Amino acid sequence: MLLEKKLIEDLLDAGLSRGADFAEIFVEETDSTMLQSLSGRLEKANSSKIRGVGIRLAKKLQTVYGYTNSQNPEDLLKLAKDLSKSFETDTIIKRTPLMELEVGKRHKAKIKPKDVSLTEKVALMKKAYKAASEYDEAIKQVSVYLIDSTQTVLIANSEGRFVTETRYRERISISSVAAKEGVMQTGSVGPGSGKGYEYLFDEIDIEEYAREASKVAVTMLNADECPSGVMPVVIHNGFGGVIFHEACGHSLEATSVAKNASVFSGKMGQKIASDIVTAIDDGTLENRWGSANYDDEGYPQQRRVLIENGILKSYMIDKLNGRRMKTEATGSSRRQNYKFAPTSRMSNTFIDNGKSKFEEIIAATKFGLFAKKLGGGSVNPGNGDFNFSVMEGYMIRNGKIAEPVRGASLVGNGGKILTKIDMIADNLDSARGMCGSISGSIPADVGQPTIRVTEITVGGKGGN
Amino acid sequence: MMDIDKLFKQAKAKGIEDIQISLSNSTNLSITIYEGDVDKYEIADNSKLIVKGIFNKKMGVYSTEVMENDLIDEILDTIIESAKVIDSEDDAIIYEGDKEYTKVEGLFNEDLAKLDVSKKIDLLKTLDTKFHKYDERIKHVETSYTEITNSFILRNSKGLNLENKANSSYVVGEVIVSDGLDQRTGFDAKITNDFNDYNVDEFVKEISDDALNSLGADSVVSKNYEILFSSLSLATLFSAFQNVFSANAVQKGLSLLKDKLEQSVGSDLVNVIDDPFMKKSASSRSFDDEGVATKRKYLIEKGVLKTYLHNLVTAKKDGVNSTGNGFGGGISAVNLKVEAGETSFEDMVKSIKDGLYITNVQGAHAGANPVSGDFSLQAAGYHIVDGKIVSPVALITVAGNFLTMLKDVVMVGNKTKMTYFGITCPPVKINSMIVSGK
Repeated sequence: MLLEKKLIEDLLDAGLSRGADFAEIFVEETDSTMLQSLSGRLEKANSSKIRGVGIRLAKKLQTVYGYTNSQNPEDLLKLAKDLSKSFETDTIIKRTPLMELEVGKRHKAKIKPKDVSLTEKVALMKKAYKAASEYDEAIKQVSVYLIDSTQTVLIANSEGRFVTETRYRERISISSVAAKEGVMQTGSVGPGSGKGYEYLFDEIDIEEYAREASKVAVTMLNADECPSGVMPVVIHNGFGGVIFHEACGHSLEATSVAKNASVFSGKMGQKIASDIVTAIDDGTLENRWGSANYDDEGYPQQRRVLIENGILKSYMIDKLNGRRMKTEATGSSRRQNYKFAPTSRMSNTFIDNGKSKFEEIIAATKFGLFAKKLGGGSVNPGNGDFNFSVMEGYMIRNGKIAEPVRGASLVGNGGKILTKIDMIADNLDSARGMCGSISGSIPADVGQPTIRVTEITVGGKGGN
Repeated sequence: MMDIDKLFKQAKAKGIEDIQISLSNSTNLSITIYEGDVDKYEIADNSKLIVKGIFNKKMGVYSTEVMENDLIDEILDTIIESAKVIDSEDDAIIYEGDKEYTKVEGLFNEDLAKLDVSKKIDLLKTLDTKFHKYDERIKHVETSYTEITNSFILRNSKGLNLENKANSSYVVGEVIVSDGLDQRTGFDAKITNDFNDYNVDEFVKEISDDALNSLGADSVVSKNYEILFSSLSLATLFSAFQNVFSANAVQKGLSLLKDKLEQSVGSDLVNVIDDPFMKKSASSRSFDDEGVATKRKYLIEKGVLKTYLHNLVTAKKDGVNSTGNGFGGGISAVNLKVEAGETSFEDMVKSIKDGLYITNVQGAHAGANPVSGDFSLQAAGYHIVDGKIVSPVALITVAGNFLTMLKDVVMVGNKTKMTYFGITCPPVKINSMIVSGK
């Protein structure tokens, strides 16, 4: 165990000693490896180990948080006492005794990162490099990153929660650069999972992913500049789901909802999307990138139906924002590591399957943009304005996918775009992402079937 | 605490040719005020040891927060295993040190560290009150104060032994304004390690005015406009493209500045400098993470590219000296600064017939391609017609190419601002850029 039970109890008691009504201890040990290669040669091999303790106390709506990587019990007790001083002594709340330690049983790894040698990891990277670089003579550079982490957490609180689990993640990112006559374009892929190396070694075809990265780079090298203006946009399945993640998901997190800082505050039970939209955040999906047994407050992860047939059904809520909202938490609390106080975050978020076929959507679109692969994006949760870049795009002309276009970006408003989704296909797929917010950078899955949005502002440099 | 002499000794015994450690310790204080009360309070104390070892001319790196002596073997064995799989063409270097290091004054301000927490909370409470009083359309106010103290020790087996200690603080203000029809946000942050620098009234006014003036913002007709970038929006662009100055990117063919040394890459009004000795910047340093003395230098002088940023490995490859920009295992500028020009902000606005004053660009981490230089970014600001700011603008994109933009700079503002992500810029006027709106 990462910390003695007796010490945990002492820390909780010290935390509650001046009138706090909630105390929580988060202990973590994480080992990770980062390997980086360029043009097939391994340039960097970094290993790291973090171990520390985060202590959180609350009284009504006020919270205090402290962390340290000192292993010394006296330092930890001092931290708990220092934090407790933020509250004035009045009634001391009695702690619920810790329950029997509950151990997370799902999301196991068959081949654990520590059981794979660096040589085997490097061999996988070389295989990816070879497939990507041999795809086309226009490919000038291929960079490959491989990261893995093994995070063990122990979470205890004054309400008796006492849980532990080990979370495994690994991901390979392959980025190809194609160049011709002074023009350079990139394409990238990044498969990964919340299980062991069996995923990268056995379950996926790494060479196929690598060729896909190169294919995007070469296609975009030969593409025209994207025209600009307002037009219908068909956003493809998989990573296209980042549009919901950025444009709507963040605004459904209690972090912004609780303080009325979200466009969706106070909209529960109301229609916020077109009838065909059902959206889900599910942290229980087996071995997925954004899954876990417990959230980072120690409560079971859940499946949350956020929007059902256009109606807002649930926010994503952590314990303390739940107090402000006077509602139950939804097991949505997450954090990058012990250096962050947890807050409500997405896990695996996706728009659910619709009834259209992909081909029908394209055929029904006279003129527009087919955003096959999106890059990243960001959103202002205060008003829902978002932006995305399009990594791989094509024009749609007369119901057919026409010439490739590059340099497109999509801008719009999250509140409005949901009502403008008029077709959803039945080809739900998902992809890996890293999501940054106030509790740090965390793995989050995004996903959707192919969808059509009746109008989005498309930014680009080309003519029609 | 790990015994560093023992670590060095055991490294030698295992055949590690050279070894270097950096030991950093940071303490943090962070306070957030919401609706007049302390909403969050955070204290932290954190240490990290990074060990770099050269074995067979390649470098393995192990970073750890666990510093017990019984981890020494695992650290050194992992470093050797790592070095064995590295097949980079570049040999790793551990540096013996420079003769002289410029002393940077005022990096650690004792007064700030000693100032009572209650004063820091009072500052936020005053800010909160003033925001709420400023205009009734201000509906949501959140302010925070963060203070960081960092100490850093660098030691290696070639006898280098350097130390650095710095502190800094920043205040963040965030408002949401609403007039019942439209909702907009305002945000800014001020960084300093001198508590007397916080000017409450000016901070409240700038954030509030920007948010309030943008109420009712609309898109504009898609076409080419004259563009006036604010300090913040220009800094955002430079932040997205700063890697083009890295010699590593250049040598690997991943920079659009390859083969452009001593050539014109921008209008002669453009001067870009890396100033590691800048006052009141938390990043200022007299040595980089490799132990090389830092230097103040022009990257672009009067539009001409003067140097790339080097670390030890890229410098050796190009046959030059490191510029002291080896940070975090890669290359980065210390304090990137676009120098002020001669035109006042008012004169810049007056000179524009039909243009946009862009106060904010978003999505630079995804919508800007550092390899090709192309960008297409979400932007917001104001429409300028016949020399006057007439209306707020939002949800547009500004598209262009970083180098084309530098060449199209026609005016540079006479005042710079240090932005919250550490890049200092004046406002600049660009001849013409493509804007996509309605």
